[in-house]
Amino acid sequence: MPAPQLMVSALELALNKLLHLDPLSGHRLQPLAGKRLRIQVRELPWPLTFAFSDQVDLLLDEDTEVDCSMSLSLSTLKDMQDVSQIGQLIQQQRLSLHGDMHTAQSFSNLLKELDIDWEEQLSCYVGDVLAHQTLQFFRSARIDTRQRLERLRQMLSDGALQEKKLAAHPLALEDFSEQVSQLRGDAARFEARLTQLEQIKAGK
Amino acid sequence: MSEPNSDRPQEISPAGPQQVGEEQTHFGFKTVEKARKASMVADVFHSVAGKYDLMNDLLSMGVHRLWKRFTIDCSGVRPGQRVLDLAGGTGDLAAKFSRLVGPTGQVVLADINEAMLKVGRDKLRDKGILVNMDYVQANAESLPFPDNHFDLITIAFGLRNVTDKEKALASMFRVLKPGGRLLVLEFSKPQIELLSKAYDLYSFHVLPKIGQLVVGDGESYQYLAESIRMHPDQETLKTMMSEAGFEQITYHNMTGGIVALHRGFKF
Ligand SMILES: C[S@@+](CC[C@H](N)C(=O)[O-])C[C@H]1O[C@@H](n2cnc3c(N)ncnc32)[C@H](O)[C@@H]1O
Repeated sequence: MPAPQLMVSALELALNKLLHLDPLSGHRLQPLAGKRLRIQVRELPWPLTFAFSDQVDLLLDEDTEVDCSMSLSLSTLKDMQDVSQIGQLIQQQRLSLHGDMHTAQSFSNLLKELDIDWEEQLSCYVGDVLAHQTLQFFRSARIDTRQRLERLRQMLSDGALQEKKLAAHPLALEDFSEQVSQLRGDAARFEARLTQLEQIKAGK
Repeated sequence: MSEPNSDRPQEISPAGPQQVGEEQTHFGFKTVEKARKASMVADVFHSVAGKYDLMNDLLSMGVHRLWKRFTIDCSGVRPGQRVLDLAGGTGDLAAKFSRLVGPTGQVVLADINEAMLKVGRDKLRDKGILVNMDYVQANAESLPFPDNHFDLITIAFGLRNVTDKEKALASMFRVLKPGGRLLVLEFSKPQIELLSKAYDLYSFHVLPKIGQLVVGDGESYQYLAESIRMHPDQETLKTMMSEAGFEQITYHNMTGGIVALHRGFKF
């Protein structure tokens, strides 16, 4: 903790911002609503779980059931943007896929119009073994002296230094973007509020 | 809005906690009549409700978002499930749960404090979250829900404020479905002496000052610091959960144990 959560929070923010900018993304999200997709990027120590609604929520959980799971390398993620490539990627064994093919296709379709630079988003965390160790939550481990020292070192850097330095950037960004999106006062929000008011009025 | 600290008792023991009798409980370091704690806690949150989110970011330097994220990662929540976000305050967790359970699921945001609940409701409505959210003013000690009702209960930074924690845990156990899980996110005991000292310094000296500066209410944040120190440590809370009937209880320290996430199941 919380480096993996930090990465996922930054990625989730970037994805949703891109989705927001694309007026047609709502349309492409629709077939995915309520679906879960788990992607194991080979260079990353933990799988990413995408939960779709009218936006994308990213989870770091390995246990819950998903509709579809994929395993691929970072460079292949880019090729996922082309639906027609999926079959070929599987044949070439660059992509392994289990579960609902439609979910994978809809996801690919969603990515198509998004110009997301996965490598940039993820690469600084790749091979972050330390982060991986800290993610071993709820796994009881026998702690010998060496591990104890390692944990101490880790906690110190986690708690005292690394966290704050890392935390400032994406979180400040998140705050800022929240403010921006609030200012934008986009139609969807307004509409939702209006619907609510109408419902209240109708209910009375 | 009421004057935040008008009916606070005189400080009895500035140096730290003390023994309490049957009818008394802790309010920070102060010992007060049990019956009065709830209303005093209410005062604290009443006085900070409007700026609560801002203060959270300031005081934890944004890290509280990551603690909450981790909590959600450990929730195992699925579409169609029923979730109770207890002491849910301004609805940080509830917003995400609402999307994760989808339109076939349900999220109940419950809090004892009307002002906090209202801030939460406005915030979630502004985000367009409507369909599967319910708002209930309730005391964690006597939850107004049927037995075996929820798949998941979360209580983030809330248990600390509850007068009778045993009663609250029992009440949560009752309304949880068999197979369901409880997640308690709460300040805990830093695992390293040095960090513990630094943290004390921060929470007793820096925190109330920021509180004074931003919300104009240092005393509420003094309460926060004291209540954190009085809260049971990791192992004690684990035992309390076990006594309430929860099983397979584990906890995970974050940020060196400043915060811990406890997880338990009902079977
Ligand atoms: C520190 S806030 C946490 C809010 C939110 N869960 C979060 O993490 O940001 C604590 C909340 O607990 C609520 N609370 C205190 N005592 C309670 C009780 N007995 N039953 C239910 N809620 C309570 C307060 O009103 C307040 O909103």
